[in-house]
Amino acid sequence: MTLTAQGVSMAFGGLLALDDVSLTVPERRVVGLIGPNGAGKTTLFNCLTGLYAPTSGLVLLNGRPLPPDPAEAARGGIARTFQNIRLFPELSALDNVLVGRHTRIRQGLLAALLRGPGFRRSEAEAVERARAELAFVGLDPAGRAPAGSLAYGDQRRLEIARALAGDPSVLMLDEPTAGMNATETAAVRELIAAIRERGIAVVVIEHDTKFIFSLCDHVHVLVRGRLLVDGPPEAVRADARVIEAYLGAA
Amino acid sequence: MTSTDTGSTTGVRGPVTRARRSARSVLSVRSVRRVPGAVLVLAGALSPWASVVLPGGAYPDLATLHLFDAPHLVTGFRLHLVLLGLAALLPRAARPAGAGVLIIAFVHTAFLAALGAVSFGGPVALAGGALLVWQGRREPAPRWPLPGRAVVWPALAAAFAGLLWLVSATLTAGGQSRATNPHGGAEFLAFLGFAVALLGILSAYGVLAWLSALAERHRTFSVAVLLGCAMLLPLTGAGTGYWMTVASTIGVYAATAIGLNIVVGLAGLLDLGYVAFLGIGAFTAANLAHTVPFPVAALAGAVAAGLLGVVVGAPTLRVRGDYLAIVTLAFGEIFFRAAQNDLGGLTGGANSIPGIPPITLFGQAFDRPVGALPAGFLYYALTVLMVAGAMAVLANLKHSRTGRAWLAISADEDVARAMGVHTGRAKILAFLVGATLAGLAGAVFAHKLGTVGYESFDFSESVTLLAAVILGGMGTVPGAVVGASLLFVLPEKLREFSDYRLMLFGLALILIMRLRPKGLVSS
Repeated sequence: MTLTAQGVSMAFGGLLALDDVSLTVPERRVVGLIGPNGAGKTTLFNCLTGLYAPTSGLVLLNGRPLPPDPAEAARGGIARTFQNIRLFPELSALDNVLVGRHTRIRQGLLAALLRGPGFRRSEAEAVERARAELAFVGLDPAGRAPAGSLAYGDQRRLEIARALAGDPSVLMLDEPTAGMNATETAAVRELIAAIRERGIAVVVIEHDTKFIFSLCDHVHVLVRGRLLVDGPPEAVRADARVIEAYLGAA
Repeated sequence: MTSTDTGSTTGVRGPVTRARRSARSVLSVRSVRRVPGAVLVLAGALSPWASVVLPGGAYPDLATLHLFDAPHLVTGFRLHLVLLGLAALLPRAARPAGAGVLIIAFVHTAFLAALGAVSFGGPVALAGGALLVWQGRREPAPRWPLPGRAVVWPALAAAFAGLLWLVSATLTAGGQSRATNPHGGAEFLAFLGFAVALLGILSAYGVLAWLSALAERHRTFSVAVLLGCAMLLPLTGAGTGYWMTVASTIGVYAATAIGLNIVVGLAGLLDLGYVAFLGIGAFTAANLAHTVPFPVAALAGAVAAGLLGVVVGAPTLRVRGDYLAIVTLAFGEIFFRAAQNDLGGLTGGANSIPGIPPITLFGQAFDRPVGALPAGFLYYALTVLMVAGAMAVLANLKHSRTGRAWLAISADEDVARAMGVHTGRAKILAFLVGATLAGLAGAVFAHKLGTVGYESFDFSESVTLLAAVILGGMGTVPGAVVGASLLFVLPEKLREFSDYRLMLFGLALILIMRLRPKGLVSS
């Protein structure tokens, strides 16, 4: 499955947040998205997850237009985390992951009321899968603690587990290492590599360029709503325009 | 590091240390501090209370104590004070017991003062209670291991029998009405204080948590025993036609509150016009009462209310939070005014719909006694089953894909969407399920009362239902039942305070929200 943006522009009133941006997220690749503050990274993210309908241009998932509805995008295989952690704090960690599995659980209302064998099997399968995702990101598989009571780094991991539970083909991570120390950042890097091994494409927004360059297969640099450069990390890192955008003209 | 140290220490001389520690906690300086409070409470309980003989006889049971010739005659609230005073000697019980003493003593002292009498025992007991609350220790409750099979059944049966006693005693505390007992309201409030203290002591020793974990593990058995206990209520002191009617009225509101708990507690949709669904069910059943048997009328009421729930839910999908509350408030008002003006000749307007026959199944009218059981027992049994069914709906849906979607929407709607939840559909479903339960309750309500009029469904009823859900504990299964029981029993009990009823009501709300912000039954 590939996710592509073709000439995507997004205008909020008179402000052109994205201007003719095209990019491709191939299968089993980690794609980085960097750029200074206000470059339009999160806007692009929201277009790719169905939250915004682009003013012009197309977002295609496997050649079909992505419906401008986050719920449908999730059903189609796009999962995401949030820049500021947005878990369901009162729900247990396990329930958070089970909500992430929502689109893949088949249960009717009547079945839930009657709790027949079919319902119990589907519930047991969902719980088992949710436990596996908790273990995958390195959290306690029992997941009884309320999500809001977890340590900061664990909350970030839980968000990733919740996103993975929906069997995504593309996982979108919005600043997954924000506020983390070097050890925690390294752990996230390993986690993302393991996610790629599972055959899931990953899109990462980050401010931490070192993190992006050491992790991604392909890096896009967004500046003032336009795609400035894209290519393999080594090429992007050496590009004079990128250095200028970040550090100013020499 | 420290944990392994302590581990090895307790491993070697654990039992000794524990025994020594518990001996110390009973006899230490700290425990001696509890004694003056306890003594004051006992002294207060055994002192005379009223300075004058009150109309209606001695206050409440005995104006003069026969302490020396008949000590067992310490009854009523004095007995409660004595029991709490003794319980306060236990280290963890001092605080809850003290709080209970404060409530009991305050209620009776204030009531006597209002009657123009001076209470002697009251201030003494108040001082003792305050001392206990002040000196009592506040510690996290101990956690007990779950027992083996042999203990489970007797433990749960005993717990539910205790619950049955508490329900029956609370229901009948203070007697039926002002005519039979002029001090009924005060006695009822004081009994609530005693009940709060008992539950507080049990909770301070971790017994409540242990029992609920046990009940959770043996769910089917617990439900069966609980239902059985509920059916035994007619055999207790509450087994008269009057109390059966009160209990079944509470049951109707409890079932309605459970429906509202799905809408508000699970899906987080603030509905201020919810009583309209109870009304739809009631008016539907009332109009069909003479033409079809009760099960059909009940079904029709539930379906009509459910459909209306969808009709109300659909246009409100675009609004959230405060705005949703305003729209539902308007809907409730539209229903109320329509019913008042007898829209379509369906509600009887100001004349209401009289002469609804009682439910009759297999030739047995529900308002007649069956065998030795009091009249109204059948309505009581029916509402018990209805409440149990509504609780099952809430519990089963809560632990399913749908319920988790509701909880997710109520926590963060945008994120729920990003996780693939079709929030619009899920919200309409919540309105549908909640309204259906209310409609069913409405059908029973109509038959039970025999008359349905629009004034039963005004805004204040919606507010009371909402308060029941919030007080009881949003989204919890027993919460709405506890809340509804309390809120619909209080006005019944506090008739003599009718001038101050709303004030007391508000005071209770503030106290509960201050002390238990997540509701009486928090998850």
